[in-house]
Order: sequence, then C-alpha cells, then structure tokens
Amino acid sequence: MWASIAWRLFWRELSRGELWVIAFALFLAVGSVVSLSGITEGVKSALMQRSAQFNAADKVLRSSQPFDPAVLELAQQNGLSTAQQMQFDSMLFAGDAMQLATIKAVSDSYPLRGNLELKRSADLVSGEDTQLQQGQLYFEARLFDLLNVAPGDTVELGVARFTVAGVIVKEPDAPLSVFGGAPRVIMHLADVAATQIVQPGSRIGYRYLFAGDTAALQAFEQQMTPKLTVHQRWQDMDRESAIGGALERAERFLLLAGLLGIVLAACAAAVAAGRYSQRHTQAVAIIKALGATRAQIRLIYGSHLLLVVLFSLLCGALAGQLAIQAVQWGIGFYFADYRADFSWRPLWLGSLTCLVCALLFAARPMWRLANTAAIDVLKQPAVNLPLDKLQLLSGSVAIWGLMWLFSGELILSIGLFLLCAAFAGILLAGAALLVRFAKPVAAGQSSARRLALANLRRRLWANSFQLITFSLAIFLALLLYFLRAELIGQWQRQIPLGSPNQFLVNITEQQRSVLQSFAADNNLQLGQYYPVVRGRLTSINDEQLLQEATKEDRTEQRVGVGRELNLTWLSELPANNQVTAGDWLNTDAAQVSVEAEIAQRLDVSLGDTLTFSIGGQQLSATVSSIRKVDWNSLQPNFYMILSPDLLAEFPATYITAFYLAPERNLLLNQLARLMPTVSVISVDNIINQVNDIIAQVTVALSFILLIICLAAGLVLVAQVQATLEQREQELAILRTLGAQYPFLRNALLLEFTLLGAMAGLFATILAEAMLLIVQQRVFELPFQLHYNLWWMGPVMGMLLVTGLGWWQLRRLLQIPGAQLMRKVLQG
Amino acid sequence: MIKAPEVHIKATKLAKSVKVTDGSLTILHDISLTINRGESVAIVGASGSGKSTLLSLLAGLDTPTAGEVYLAGQALHDLSEDQRAAIRAKDVGFVFQSFLLLPGLTALENVTLPAELAADKQAKQRGLALLQQVGLAERSDFFPAQLSGGEQQRVAIARAFITSPAVLFADEPSANLDAVTGQKIEDLLFKLNSEQGTTLILVTHNTELAARCQRQLRMQAGRFVYDDVKDIADVG
Repeated sequence: MWASIAWRLFWRELSRGELWVIAFALFLAVGSVVSLSGITEGVKSALMQRSAQFNAADKVLRSSQPFDPAVLELAQQNGLSTAQQMQFDSMLFAGDAMQLATIKAVSDSYPLRGNLELKRSADLVSGEDTQLQQGQLYFEARLFDLLNVAPGDTVELGVARFTVAGVIVKEPDAPLSVFGGAPRVIMHLADVAATQIVQPGSRIGYRYLFAGDTAALQAFEQQMTPKLTVHQRWQDMDRESAIGGALERAERFLLLAGLLGIVLAACAAAVAAGRYSQRHTQAVAIIKALGATRAQIRLIYGSHLLLVVLFSLLCGALAGQLAIQAVQWGIGFYFADYRADFSWRPLWLGSLTCLVCALLFAARPMWRLANTAAIDVLKQPAVNLPLDKLQLLSGSVAIWGLMWLFSGELILSIGLFLLCAAFAGILLAGAALLVRFAKPVAAGQSSARRLALANLRRRLWANSFQLITFSLAIFLALLLYFLRAELIGQWQRQIPLGSPNQFLVNITEQQRSVLQSFAADNNLQLGQYYPVVRGRLTSINDEQLLQEATKEDRTEQRVGVGRELNLTWLSELPANNQVTAGDWLNTDAAQVSVEAEIAQRLDVSLGDTLTFSIGGQQLSATVSSIRKVDWNSLQPNFYMILSPDLLAEFPATYITAFYLAPERNLLLNQLARLMPTVSVISVDNIINQVNDIIAQVTVALSFILLIICLAAGLVLVAQVQATLEQREQELAILRTLGAQYPFLRNALLLEFTLLGAMAGLFATILAEAMLLIVQQRVFELPFQLHYNLWWMGPVMGMLLVTGLGWWQLRRLLQIPGAQLMRKVLQG
Repeated sequence: MIKAPEVHIKATKLAKSVKVTDGSLTILHDISLTINRGESVAIVGASGSGKSTLLSLLAGLDTPTAGEVYLAGQALHDLSEDQRAAIRAKDVGFVFQSFLLLPGLTALENVTLPAELAADKQAKQRGLALLQQVGLAERSDFFPAQLSGGEQQRVAIARAFITSPAVLFADEPSANLDAVTGQKIEDLLFKLNSEQGTTLILVTHNTELAARCQRQLRMQAGRFVYDDVKDIADVG
C-alpha cells in the first residue's frame, strides 16, 4: 500500500520541480565524474600514444649490453610486437671529408609507432619517398653539405662502405632538442656487424622497442622488471616527450575540475534535498497524524529518492559515456592513429559518487523527515529547519572522501577541502558583517530599496548560506575559466603563431650580410644571432676528463662529455633559462654558466673551474651559475654559456631562425643554393604536433568548463528554489497589503543584484587567492594578477544571480494577490 | 438494568510543559477527565487556553510531561511514537481547522490515505462511498487547490471517517469557513458521527457549536474551569 502512495506522490512531486533539481544535481555528479575521468583517461591515453609516437614504440627498454633474445621472446609470448635499435657515434668518411655522426641502426619492424619518412634526395622537399634497405645510409639534410656528398655517393663507416640513399625527412624518435648534437644517420641493423665498429668496450646504446595493447604491455613489464640487469632500464616515456609537461598540466586541470564538479553537484543535491524535506514537513506530519509509522514515511520518501537516484545514475552514466565517445572522436579527429579503450573505471567511479552524494546529502534530510512529530500538524511549518550538524559533518567527510578517491592524491584532496572549508567560514563571517552593515544604510532609502535591504537582513542565516553557495559556484566557474585561459595561453606562448620554424646553423661571419639581404629581399624576419664556437670540455678543477661519453645520449652515458660542445657567449640570460644557483655571468670575469642536468651529471658545482679545448687552445672559466633550461622551447639552447669577452678571439659560426609560411617552402632551396654550407633545420613537424595536441586538449577543457558552469548554475537554481515558498508567503502578504507590481519587481531585482554582487565580489577574492596557490603549487606557473577577474566576478555574479532569481520568481509576481494568498494558505 | 457507560478515554493528572528560552512554560496543569464511548465532548476556551494541546495528548499526537492518558484502555503515555501511530491508524480520525489535505493527492486519494496506510484493500470503494456521502462524488479527481474551503473540509471529514474510527478529534472544524458553509460542515460532522456511533472530541471557541455536544469542558490557562456534566451531577 505504501508503494502505491509513494508512487502517486512521486509523480505529483515531479511536476513541482524539486525532485528534478535533485535528479539533475545527481545526474551532473555522475555525468561529470564519468565524463571527466573518462576524458582524463582518454587524453592520457592519447598522450601516451602520442608519446609512443615520439618514442617509436609504446614501451622502450634501454640497455648498454647487446640484445638478449630472451627479452624479445618474452615480449612476443605476451603478444607484443618488437623492434630493435642501436645507437652510437662514429666518424663518416667521404673522400677527404670526415664528420662525426650519430648513427642509428634499426631492425625491419622499426618504427612500431609513428612513421619514418625517407626521401631519395638531399633535401626535404624533392625526391620520392622510399624505404630503408640493407646496404644504405640515410642522412640528416645538413650532413650532405658537411661531407660534400650527394645521394648515390659512397661513404665509409667503420670498415664498410655504404651508399648514401637519401635524406631523413621525419624520424619519430629523433631528439627534440634541435641543436642537440652530431648529424644523424639511419642504417639497417643487419649492416652494423660489417662495420666492425662494435668492439668490447664500445659505447653503444641498445634499445628494445615494444608495442601492443595496454594489458599485454603491463603484463610484460611486470614479468620483465624483476629480470632487469644493471645494464637495462625502462625509458621514461612521459618526461621525454616534448609536450609531456603541458599535458600533465592538462590532466591536473581535468582532475581539479572533477573535484570542483563534485563539490558543486553535492551542494546542489544537498540544497535541493534540504528544501524538499523542508517543504514536506507538514505533509509528513499529516500522514503521521493519520497513523503512518516512521518506517512507512521512510519507505515513501526513500523510494522517491531511490527512483531519482536510479534515473540520474542511468542518465548520468549514459551522458558521461556519450561525452567520452564525443571527446574520443574529437581526439581521433586530430590524431588519426588514436585507439580508444573502453574502461569501467569512470562508470563505477561515477556511480559511487552518485550514491555517496545521494546517501550523505539527499538521504539524510529525507531520513530526518520521518522524525517530524505528528504534533507538528497543529503548528505552523517552520520556515527554516535548524542546521543539521551531523549532515554538515558527514557531508564534509564525504566530499573530502570523494576528492581523495577521485584524485588519488591525499595531500591535494585535504588541501583543497580545507581551503573550501576555510573560505566557507570566512564567507559566513563576511556575509554576516555585510548584511548587518546594510541596516544603517537602509534608512533614508526608497521603499523598494528599503524592502530589498530588509529582506536581505531578515534572512540573515539563510542569506549567508545562500551567499556561500552562490559565491562558491561563481568562484569555481571563475577559477576554471581563468585556469583554462592561462593553460591554453601558456601553451600558445610556448609556440606563438609565427614563431620561428626554420633554423639556420653554421652561418659564418661573412655569410651574415648575405643572409641579411636575402631576408630583406624575401621579407623574412630573422631572429637573434647566437654565436657558436665548438669546444671540448677537457678538465674540471685540473682533473682530466675521460673523453668517452657523448652528450647526445644524456641518460645512457653518465661519464663526462665526450664530444665537442656548442659554446656560446651571451651578455643576457636567454628567455627560456632560469638561474637556479649562483649569479648570471659577470661580463668582466672568466665565467661560465652551466645547464643544470649536465652540471649534475658531471658533478660540477659553483666555483669549479672548467677548462675547454678550442681549436687546440685551452680556455678556463669559473662556474658562476647553474641554469635550468626549457628544452621544449624550440629555441637554441646551450649547455655552456661563457662570458662575452672570453670567446671573442675564436672564430665563430652563428645560429639564427625565422618563420617561413608553409607555402613558401621553396625559398629554402634558394637559400641552400645561396649558402650551401649553412644547414637548415625545420621544426615544422614538431610545431604542428604540439599545436594539434593543444587544440584537442583545448576542446576537452572547454567541455569541462561547460560542465562546471552548468553545475554552478544548478546550485544557484536550487538555492533560489529553496526560498521560493517563503517568498510566496511574503509576496502574498505584500500584495494583499496593496504593493504594486513595479514596487515588488524593483525590490526583488535589487535584492538579487545586491546578493549577486556580494557573491561575485567574494568569489573574485577567493578566485584570485586560489589562482595564486593553484598556479604555483599545481601548475608551476608564474603568478600574476588577473585584472579582468575583478570586474568579471562581480558583474557575472550580479547578472547570473539576478537573471536566475528573476527567471524563477517572475511568475510569482504575476499571480494575482488573492490567488497567491490562497496558494500559500493551501500549502 | 441500564448498562454502565464504557470509558473510552481517560486522563489522570495530565500536565504539559514546553521549553522556552528562559526556562519552561506549563501549558496544561493537572487535567483529569473521563470520556465515555459514543459521547460527544466540546473543549472550549479562549485562544492559548490549552485546548489544542489537550487534544493532541488525548489523540496520542504528543506525550504528556506528567500524568496518564488512556485511549480504549491503552496507555498512550507509555507507548512509542510508532505504537501511538498504529493506534491512530486504527482507532482515531482527525478534522483540522486548516483542512490539512496533501496538495499532491486528489480528493479521493486524500480520503483513502489513512485506509491505505492501514493496508485496507477496500480503501477506494470506501473512499468513493464517503465522497458520495459528503456530496463530492463528482470531484473525486480534483486536487485540493481546485476545491473551495468548504469542499476541502468535506474531503477532510470523509478522510476522518474512512477507517471507521472509534474516536474523532476535530480541531476548530468550521473556523476557517463562512457561517453558512461552517454550519453545513458541522451538520455533516454530527450526522456522520451519529451514524457511526463515534466518540467525538471537538475543540472550539464557538459556543453554538459546543452546545451541540453532549458535554462541554471549558478551559482557562491550562486548567478545567467548567464541566457541564459535572455541574449537572452537582445539581442533581
């Protein structure tokens, strides 16, 4: 029997709206958690796959020992495809010319991810595409000039002779630091033995490449890891990707948005359920007076909640899954090889969030409803129920628990939670002060203004709570809006539109003027000239270094810098560099600034004396600073920067860069003919890849911002709805007393405008404070004030709150007084 | 031999206090009374005299601070909230001043609510029959907001009688209505009451309405000041 009563009441309640608000809040909680975690996984997976393309494989095992067939066998047993790769530095000879080059020898199946593009020509634009074959070498473009050879010529490597077949157009796992090292050469793995270069003690890097599905890769990694020898280690994929940092930030943004989404949805559910319970107090008292037990009441109202939860859960999961599909489709659009994996995790995470929100935020007020005393049937229903401290406590713990579960980061979740709690406390105090302060101001105002202020003041507690939720909602929307803008801006700043995409290396002093006029004739903007002197680091504090290691393979060879370095001199610290220890170069002293990673590898510290050998001459300089370098900046970066005067007497070549629109690529050929010894390095591919990823992440971020704004709007609607009944009563009385429509409208608009402005102002202050913390702690971005925020926050607050309030309440104003009074009297 | 009247409701030394900001306020003092089965009793008095509080204690809506109250021999003061609810479902009907219909239910659904709570399978038929009796058969699908005050109170009366309660409590049943409608409602109430032989306890400050009851109890400041039956006995 209770079921039939419950069912009938449920349908009638649906038309009254509050159940929809609870349903929509829960829907949003499920939908946002499912979509956000799904999208995060999708973006992560896209990044991994993109990162895999940068590494030519899903997983790379590095070794300094020759290939072990057992490793390959184990991988194949796990269903993985494999490839092998060797890398070493060696001299190439072509007649009288010789040049140190980095040789990469690859097996037939290379690359497992991404593409190797080779052309049968000496430049990047002409010639037909071709495949790597045994007995052939492919050169990086600049090597043709350095060795003075053309495709079809023969060169010597070790004791073997090879045909130079063409140029490397695109090498998926080429180092992204474009000025990294010696020119690159690709050959077939089967040809290495013939060169006899591999001798005991040779410095050779071996790489096993693996690709396959995630589960197989994980299984293989688990089996392989305990068997790793001291010579073997997994390559860290993420960190070596040029865009890893940016994407990691995007992931953190998604995570943060997810957490905030949960807070908002929980708030909306709690407000709506609280109002629902409050509105049903008298109905419950009546039903209890008519003989219903507490259990019956709980069954009736519990079943309402259950139906709402089931409905929201199903719709939310479906919508979330659709959003995931849409974003995956979007990612696939930008990233052709993207493979989307289905995951259950977002679904169970979303369901759990919904149940926790429902149980701790919505079920609790409904549970309390059954405690309504039957005697209340003879009393006026309370306008505001007393604060449920237990719900506040359990709700807070639940919010924190969800944050923790969702982020998996204890500290972040505790920090965010405490911040939100502290803000709520500050807001409450601030709101109380402001509302009290409104009292003296009210005197001497017009009657509509007096009424608005009186309304604000009278509902002090309700308004404070309302103000907190309004502020919180606006604050979160602002926070995400600005962080999104900041992230995207930062990525775009990293590679601004029209940033140099062609780098010219090896320019002599005499060629500078030729280049200058070429640039002027063709309307090209040349960038800064960086002087370069090649030198070898020979000793640190008079201790001679072993000349074995190479700079190129930073992570494999830890001993010394075995090759010539590009040394430069600069009076100003370059833009992408940051001094982490010591002081920038003193122009009058013999000083050197060392890049942080190489300083660590060489165990160099401030005050050490480095000695370089340049063209047979020795030069010493004291380490004055250690620099952190942004290797992803696509700018010339240097391990060693010396004081300007030190290198002045050595013959230098120069590096510069310019932007060339893709349709003007033929100019490069003119340039090559004009200055055959100058090498052109194009970074168009890298720029395009990064831009693609920025575009796809931007779409995901915008989608998430939309979800958060919806959640924030819902909180506002729930909150305005919560005061609907009381307003009905007041309006009925005022209308009965003869208040005119314009008067009531003005009072209402003014009240909401004031409330919105206050909420917007609080939200702005909080958002600025939070941006400061999040920028520095989470995203590691430099802090700067957001001037736009200071007008956007209050204006947005006013417009949103007034708009929503008006939308919700304008119908009430239009109901004739008598009808309104009757509605109120009849409940 | 005249059969001795059966005691239906008995209260002994009932007291009710409520907590207020500065201490406690006693609303009822030392109330004792006995009401026989089938008797109609009016509790009269000015606003704030404690009539409604007494009604709530006698009906088991609330519990006394001190004293005992028995309904059909069951000690309401010793029972839990749910046990009292079970007694109300079975034995008690209510008519309230402000009708107190559930706005989300139709007239018929409001009438059948107590019967459905008591799992009565005949609820709908009985409800329709009662609506017929109160003259609202054609409006059984109307929602309370679509009914006039008088019509709403008639629905409330039908609801009160659906479980054939042994006792009916009515709290100012005609106070919210105009004189003519009020009169009709009172007539209806007394008609159904006499047809079903229900014990009627009526709270009112309307002396004419009170006079229609077999007995009047007058309250002032939480105490009985007058009991017409007792007076008659004194006189006799």
